[in-house]
Amino acid sequence: MAILGIPILENLYPVTMDMWPVQAKEFNRNWQFYENLKQGRFTTTKCKDCGKVAYPPRVICPECYSENLEYIDLPTKGKVISFSEEVRGVPLGFEAPLIHAVIDLGVEPVRRLLTRIINCPAGYLKEGDEVQLAVFPVPPHPIEKGKQGTVMVERVFFAFEPVKKP
Amino acid sequence: MARRAVILAGGQCKWGVREAHLVDLFQEAAKACFDDIPTLKPKDVDGLIVATSYAGRCSFQVNTAPVIAERLGLKPTSICTRCDTLCAGGSTGIIFAKGLVEAGIADIVMVAGGEKLYTPQKWEVFYSELASVDHDWDGAQGMGLPPPLFALTAKAHMKYYGTKKEDFAAVSVTNYNYAVDNPVAQMQKALTLEEAMNAPEVVPPLTLYDCCPITDGAAACIITTDEIARKFTDRPLVYIRGTAQVCLNSVTANFPGEHLADWVHLRIAAEKAYKAAKVAPSDIKVAQTHDCFSISEVIEVEELGFCKKGEGGAFCSSGQIKIGGKVPINTDGGLLACGHPFGGTGIRQAIEIMKQLQGRARHQVKDADIGLTHNLSGANAEHTILIYGREPVK
Repeated sequence: MAILGIPILENLYPVTMDMWPVQAKEFNRNWQFYENLKQGRFTTTKCKDCGKVAYPPRVICPECYSENLEYIDLPTKGKVISFSEEVRGVPLGFEAPLIHAVIDLGVEPVRRLLTRIINCPAGYLKEGDEVQLAVFPVPPHPIEKGKQGTVMVERVFFAFEPVKKP
Repeated sequence: MARRAVILAGGQCKWGVREAHLVDLFQEAAKACFDDIPTLKPKDVDGLIVATSYAGRCSFQVNTAPVIAERLGLKPTSICTRCDTLCAGGSTGIIFAKGLVEAGIADIVMVAGGEKLYTPQKWEVFYSELASVDHDWDGAQGMGLPPPLFALTAKAHMKYYGTKKEDFAAVSVTNYNYAVDNPVAQMQKALTLEEAMNAPEVVPPLTLYDCCPITDGAAACIITTDEIARKFTDRPLVYIRGTAQVCLNSVTANFPGEHLADWVHLRIAAEKAYKAAKVAPSDIKVAQTHDCFSISEVIEVEELGFCKKGEGGAFCSSGQIKIGGKVPINTDGGLLACGHPFGGTGIRQAIEIMKQLQGRARHQVKDADIGLTHNLSGANAEHTILIYGREPVK
């Protein structure tokens, strides 16, 4: 695949132009969040020493700086507090209407999670509606692995969707 | 005697969609800055702070300070560096410069900020906006430079305080009309309330004139001490009396207010800046607040203490932000009309407040002796305030 104006980049992967998180173990110590997503679980890290639950997941506790953390499950269903529907200036990679909502998953620290709402036509969503986690695949990317050569890494990401189907 | 920082001079290039490279814009801004103070020469400047955030993405240039220094003919010996606080970069540079000149580390510092955002294909700047917020958590949710976040903020203000679309439109109309005669503003259009109310939708309730445009541009100013400034100018000195910069979160899920229209981080910044400057909100005669969206200015006048919480809509729509009102705001057109080349904005604001306090602004506020600039940056992640005065803090 050629890139217009920059033929030297043919068949190369520029991570600086990747809109999705680089989530492979080799590049991200919070890789487990994405592995959990693949199983339909929405998780974050909890400090085993002071009990602090932080979102998004970390490699140190922001409260006591302990590295003794574990992944815990967060609810995958919540309620819409408010929402917006973007019709103009939607970033490349997303389609209008781009719907965002502040949702309440019922527990700290995700009482006011700002997320994209998918599988939902414009004008359908209402405040108070129930939404649920929606995991979807995003394009895999290559990693150079020495003698093994170049390996493609599968990836996922998440949004939320109305529980009651349109 | 203690060294006390002042803003000596400043200038900006024409802002808008510019047929120019990033380094061209900085050269034009530096020329405008030196044109403002003919007694000062480039060889007198011993420090340079460059504020730019998108150089790495839109101009394939990092470590911008030496690049800009060379193009401007500057040979800094005290400091030559870049700062990146996105929308607050220029103001951050001025805070750094104040600290450096007051500490005696530098004597005369140029703070120059700007961006080249229009790329040969327009998709790229919108795509790069995903880097302006927390990339993996908010960017990947399609947040970009966040009209959706401010639409949600506007909805919250309407819900909790009864603010109306007309109040937002009043901010746009006021700020646009300040810029009609500003030759370096991106927009020089007389805007009517009717036009603002009937503009195309962006993210409801925000429409076209509620949102600042994408802008190429740069600005530059000179920060030095009062004693040094006296050697170069007979104009009234404009002191940087107090500053604050507050960051309580980055990812939107951790927004610190009770709801999106409750900007506790701005209240904390205001309290600290007023205390440092030894002034009260009622002392502010003219202000530049960060009107990236019209709703922003409505909330800013509340959290900065110009009116009660919840009354920002009425404050703006009743003319209190106009000349003759309680606190004239964004008297050069603000972000909405001047445009918003991120690193340049805080410097543009500082220049307008300097001119107001020296009595030479285009829309002059009578007897202006204390002025304030404010920026918010990122996904409403940080608030930055500088307070300027004709007299130093005693």
